[in-house]
Amino acid sequence: MNESHLRRMKDLPSTHLLGAGTPMCAGCGGLQALHEIYDLLGAKTVFVNAAGCMTLLSVYPFTPFRGSWLYTAMASAPAGAQGVRDALDILIQKRRIGREEDLETVVLTGDGAAYGMGLSATSAAIERNLDFLYICYDNEGYGNTGQQYSGATPHAAKTSTSTGPSGYAGDKKDLFAIWAAHRPAYVATVIGAEPLDLARKIEAAKQLRGPRLIIALAPCPVGWGYSPEETVNVGKLAVKTGIWPLKEYIDGHVIHTKVPRSRLPVEDYLKVQNRFAHLFTPQRDEAMLVSLQTKVDDYWKNIA
Amino acid sequence: MYRIRFHGRGGQGIKTAGRILGNAFFHEGFQVQDAPRYGAERRGAPIFAYVRASRDVIHERGIIRHPDLVVVADDSLVPVPAAGILEGISRRTVLLVYSHDTDATWQARLSTSAKILVLPPPKKPTEVPEQGSVGAACVGAAARLIGVISADALRRAIEDELADAGPVVVRENVHYALDAYEYVGEHQGLVKEGGEPSARDYERPAWISLPFEDARVSAPAIYAAATSVEVRTGLWRTLRPVIDYARCNRCWWVCGSFCPDSAIDLGDQGYPQIDYDHCKGCMICVAQCPPHAISAIPETDAEQEQPAEIEP
Repeated sequence: MNESHLRRMKDLPSTHLLGAGTPMCAGCGGLQALHEIYDLLGAKTVFVNAAGCMTLLSVYPFTPFRGSWLYTAMASAPAGAQGVRDALDILIQKRRIGREEDLETVVLTGDGAAYGMGLSATSAAIERNLDFLYICYDNEGYGNTGQQYSGATPHAAKTSTSTGPSGYAGDKKDLFAIWAAHRPAYVATVIGAEPLDLARKIEAAKQLRGPRLIIALAPCPVGWGYSPEETVNVGKLAVKTGIWPLKEYIDGHVIHTKVPRSRLPVEDYLKVQNRFAHLFTPQRDEAMLVSLQTKVDDYWKNIA
Repeated sequence: MYRIRFHGRGGQGIKTAGRILGNAFFHEGFQVQDAPRYGAERRGAPIFAYVRASRDVIHERGIIRHPDLVVVADDSLVPVPAAGILEGISRRTVLLVYSHDTDATWQARLSTSAKILVLPPPKKPTEVPEQGSVGAACVGAAARLIGVISADALRRAIEDELADAGPVVVRENVHYALDAYEYVGEHQGLVKEGGEPSARDYERPAWISLPFEDARVSAPAIYAAATSVEVRTGLWRTLRPVIDYARCNRCWWVCGSFCPDSAIDLGDQGYPQIDYDHCKGCMICVAQCPPHAISAIPETDAEQEQPAEIEP
């Protein structure tokens, strides 16, 4: 990332390419990340989407994009991207379109598709070394249908299908590690609350060919239970507590791009979200809080 | 048949209010239909709920065009055309508005022949229901105005509907509903049942004839970029962020980058400008602006003041 021309905040785009007027909720952390990403990717892109909140972005006749959009079944977005990429390659090969008309193929899905239903199609696309960019907006549940748990839901979070006293019993899958284990060209985690880190990673991904995969943690006011104006604060807390490590995988190495110097207690992140309220009221679940903190501490123990 | 139309915003418990009223009617031996309608299933977006109740079988379907009672849980929706609050109301319609303003103010503002009643939020700030319970207060008043629903049936309906939310939520919502039920006591039975329209009374749909044309002509939007700007999501907003340009230090990036909706761009001078046609009122910019140059004012005040939208 050293060669990036994005050195400081003033290098960030100041006008926006993604159209306003989308049906995403007020304060949507996913849309925040997407507009920051789209400002850099630009109009020469074709988006391939799988069912999720963002499917509502492009509902005829309205679209916030300046290019094409293809909607696929929930598990099939990377397969759809393969078709689009192949079609573009064939058109270029046959000189039906010029190289300057080529488009970047971008898969855009939520965590339901990325961590679960679409994982096998993604695995296969990386295996075929498909030249595409995958953007997952991860709001840690099936947000569009009322926040049922997904493979991305963190341990102990309440969802509409994990309503018991201790919340979701499973653990959030490490999708970064799963994707990186395929040895694709690039994998990164980002968050809308850290726009410069995000922008550098998108710039890095743009320079590469092959499978490039980005996971954007997407704070969700409705699904996580906090007031919409808190989206950036919640996102920053996710980074500062070490819950959401910002990192990238490139050339076989994982680099942490933002190591919180003195990590805030995980509790600071949990207590501002209603989905974790049962850990604090009616009485503190000390054992659970300690175990969640320990998991984060263990992660960072081996890092810089 | 009673026909009741609720108007509110996503997150105010409007869908639930419709269900509670439906259940309460049911406890009183009525046949009931209740159905919510929402375009964008999103917090802040206008939402409708319809309740029909009759002693006989209900054959009517679809949205309620000629309501006997219109309940407005959020008075900032009244001037919003898409919310359609005044649609199909007549002299015999009762309009219940949850508002700080008085009956007389609303009567003057709306110049309608409908009977207008205001349900004010409680005076004590600690008594004011949270957004999610405004619907419960409205349904309490609605039940009394209809006049055929007992306080007991109302309580049972709330207990049934909110059982999953736990006893605290049930207790609070019963409290808000019964307070409102008491408040409008003198108007018990003000809402009268509407008649059964015959098929002849149905209005013809307002079809417009369009000649068949090539897709490039008839649907040019397919080829256009960023057509979503035609959707004015600004009407979702209950609070308006307003920039004090004297305090803005032209940082370049904070409000514009963090605004999820691409609703803040920089002007020529490096000052940010908010696109009020599309700002959904999330208030992230207010929370993040380093010199606190952006403040939130109620949309109802903003409409009257029309603050300067241009940079200095």
